[in-house]
Amino acid sequence: MNARFSTTGGMTGILPRLAPEGSGGGGASSRPPVVEMRHIRKQFGPVVANDNVNLTLREGEVHALLGENGAGKTTLMSILSGMYQPDGGEILLDGQPVRIGSPAEALSRGIGAVYQHFTLVPNMSVIENVALGAGSNVVLDMDAAERDLQAQLGEFGLNVSPRSKVSDLSIGQRQRVEIVKVLSRGTRVLLLDEPTSVLTPVEVEGLLDLIRQLKARGVAVVIVTHKLDEALAVSDRVTVLRGGRKVAELGPDQIAAGTRADAKRRVVEAMFGGGAGAGEAAVPEGGGHAAGPVLLALHEVRADGNLGAEAVRGITLELRAGEIFGIAGVDGNGQKELGEVIAGQRHVRSGSVSLDGKEITNSGVAKASALGIGYVTDERLHEGCVQSATVADNSVLKAIRRAPFSNGWWLNRKAIDAHARALIQQFDVRTPGPDVRIGLLSGGNIQKLLMARELAGNPRVLVCNKPTHGLDLKTARFVAETLRRHADAGNAVLLISSELDEIFDISDRIGVMYNGDLAAVFPRGAADAETIGQIMLAGRAGAEARA
Amino acid sequence: MNAAFVTAMLSAALVAAVPLLLASLGEATAEKAGLLNLGIEGMMLSGCFFGFLAAYQTGSSTIGVLAGVLAGLLLGLLFGFLSISLQVDQTLVGIAITILGAGVTAFLYRDIFGRQNPSAGVDAHLVNIPLVESIPVIGPAISGKPLLFYIAWLLVPAFAFMLNRTRFGLNVRAVGEYPFAADAAGVSVYRTRYAAIMIGGAMAGLAGAFLAVIDLQLFQVGMTVGLGFIGLAIAMVGGWNPWRIAITAIMFGLLRSLGNGLQILGVDVRTEFITMLPYIGIMVALVLLAGRTALPSALGVPYARGRR
Repeated sequence: MNARFSTTGGMTGILPRLAPEGSGGGGASSRPPVVEMRHIRKQFGPVVANDNVNLTLREGEVHALLGENGAGKTTLMSILSGMYQPDGGEILLDGQPVRIGSPAEALSRGIGAVYQHFTLVPNMSVIENVALGAGSNVVLDMDAAERDLQAQLGEFGLNVSPRSKVSDLSIGQRQRVEIVKVLSRGTRVLLLDEPTSVLTPVEVEGLLDLIRQLKARGVAVVIVTHKLDEALAVSDRVTVLRGGRKVAELGPDQIAAGTRADAKRRVVEAMFGGGAGAGEAAVPEGGGHAAGPVLLALHEVRADGNLGAEAVRGITLELRAGEIFGIAGVDGNGQKELGEVIAGQRHVRSGSVSLDGKEITNSGVAKASALGIGYVTDERLHEGCVQSATVADNSVLKAIRRAPFSNGWWLNRKAIDAHARALIQQFDVRTPGPDVRIGLLSGGNIQKLLMARELAGNPRVLVCNKPTHGLDLKTARFVAETLRRHADAGNAVLLISSELDEIFDISDRIGVMYNGDLAAVFPRGAADAETIGQIMLAGRAGAEARA
Repeated sequence: MNAAFVTAMLSAALVAAVPLLLASLGEATAEKAGLLNLGIEGMMLSGCFFGFLAAYQTGSSTIGVLAGVLAGLLLGLLFGFLSISLQVDQTLVGIAITILGAGVTAFLYRDIFGRQNPSAGVDAHLVNIPLVESIPVIGPAISGKPLLFYIAWLLVPAFAFMLNRTRFGLNVRAVGEYPFAADAAGVSVYRTRYAAIMIGGAMAGLAGAFLAVIDLQLFQVGMTVGLGFIGLAIAMVGGWNPWRIAITAIMFGLLRSLGNGLQILGVDVRTEFITMLPYIGIMVALVLLAGRTALPSALGVPYARGRR
């Protein structure tokens, strides 16, 4: 291992030490790049995820990997971190060709990854998570490890006890624990997969600072992201992938502040092929649409969460035809449960839910769906689709009992196939065909299909939980436009999201959920991000106290 | 109810608890690692038979016990190969191994011993503990037991230490909760799970060997009569915590030995009813615990890296 990054192993010396001579920028060094990926190819079944991709990482340099959904960013990173084996191409480390057979091997070579789905065991403590897989001592000395870790957590502005359970930490805290964990293993190439997608705006700033701090220490950082502004704010170099291929690379001089607008334009062009003008102000405006009759009414609804505690605490809400009602809130404040209540898949303990004036409280999913309530879950993979079934089968999952897809006994394969093809075309789902297992598609394409599936039923009320989470700009905008159109056609949409931008873009009214309660509701025009952000974090009382 | 009765009951209960305890400690380790070992019954029965066979042939209880452990361990390895390497559904593998164990031992026993039912007749290495011996009531129930009896109870702190304070234990818990995290941290999910199921198998074999070689010194076809499954339930009721498993095992030991106790007291109850008690007990325990056990998140879920 490179002597300039001497770590003392184990728990001590958690950070790579600052390189003595000039680091950062990294342009003039004559030494080989830390990592060189050459002509990487990877295929999942018939889906080509990476095709002849080159990527070069230098020490002290932040490299942004951009691309729309299914462009192959995560696959490329998974190959570097040893999760996947490439089908072709080679990886050079410090100029030497290597084979990275497993995540363990990647870690031992100084390549550490922080995934979108954190790799912390929720039921274990911070210290146990950091100790996991590190070192070789048979008996764990938790007290010594705790002393060491405490200091290093502080260094990253993490004010948590090493003994606290990971499940008790906030998402932002978990991410930092994850980064500390990876760095404690002597990492000099840090891969961050969509690191900002789960964070609040303040936490994002903190993360960008942290990245700059790491860069100064000589760590090579890769950020995989959809968010152009964040990427450009912190990166020295940008690589754009599209359809599994590398379509552009911008160096430090092209990203420099003076030319940032230009760089942005070039990246957007590369990502989307010049069409669509994805950088500009988004989506048709909401506001002023909501004048229709009440479609869905909730009265004093209470429901328990999965763990038994009350998650929805007496919510009263009316959704009118033609409106999009945005529900903002930090994850875990009962929004998900609220969505499930409306979809009929969560038991209501008290209160009532009615559609078009008819009470439908606790009448179940099938009934709710038949009456015209659509629901797109935020858990695409586990709840939204059957991963091992084909795209075609998934596209009719909710309508399988109805004509023309079946007559009650036999399936009509032709009708199912035609329906799936229509949805694929209409929503631009990138798949080799309707007969492919849906699990092989990227997250964004699965989301598009789920959206298409619900909309095909033309629901009176559509509940979407985080419909654009993890989607690239263009797809996200497509989804937003589709929702808007659906509402304009006289239906109602409940849009649940933790991303304020998404909510502000298309909602007519905005409600904030805090601690199971609808803490505040604003007409779109009267809402401002700061107030809503405060209510999201502290509830109505907390926000007023601060104001 | 007098002191002699209490002593007799306690003594019988502690001995009757040992096979349950051993099987349960092993099962807890396997389940912590995410493997639901329904083959435990077959592994235990194989431990009985091969332990008995080796003890009978060599006249050594030690060799018998080791043979029982080896039999369980090999079946554990088989379970691991099928469920970890080949990713066959754990429930199927477990049931297959339980049926395999019952069939193979019954066949071999009849093939080798015909209609005879010999006793192993081996030295169980009874140990008298000088000071403990003289404690009134409790002393005689604890002292004078086979060496393996004491080893079994010492395995309780040993397993508690292994699961909570060692790197291996940390790895086991991690691969059972969130294998993806363990893999990303450089812990081999496959190796850890193999190790855990081999411990589970070996302990089930040891439990069987205690029963057939040390305690009863004989083999009967199907002699475990569901004790393995009770051990599996004890692991869950005890929350995979060795100390709580020990207490639960003693309670079930009491139920198992209640027949003798009632006979001493002169209560007239059908023996069939008495032998049913442990099974009723497990139903009651599971009902009381329903919904309150937090299963390891990845229990029963195979792990394949890079699967999409």
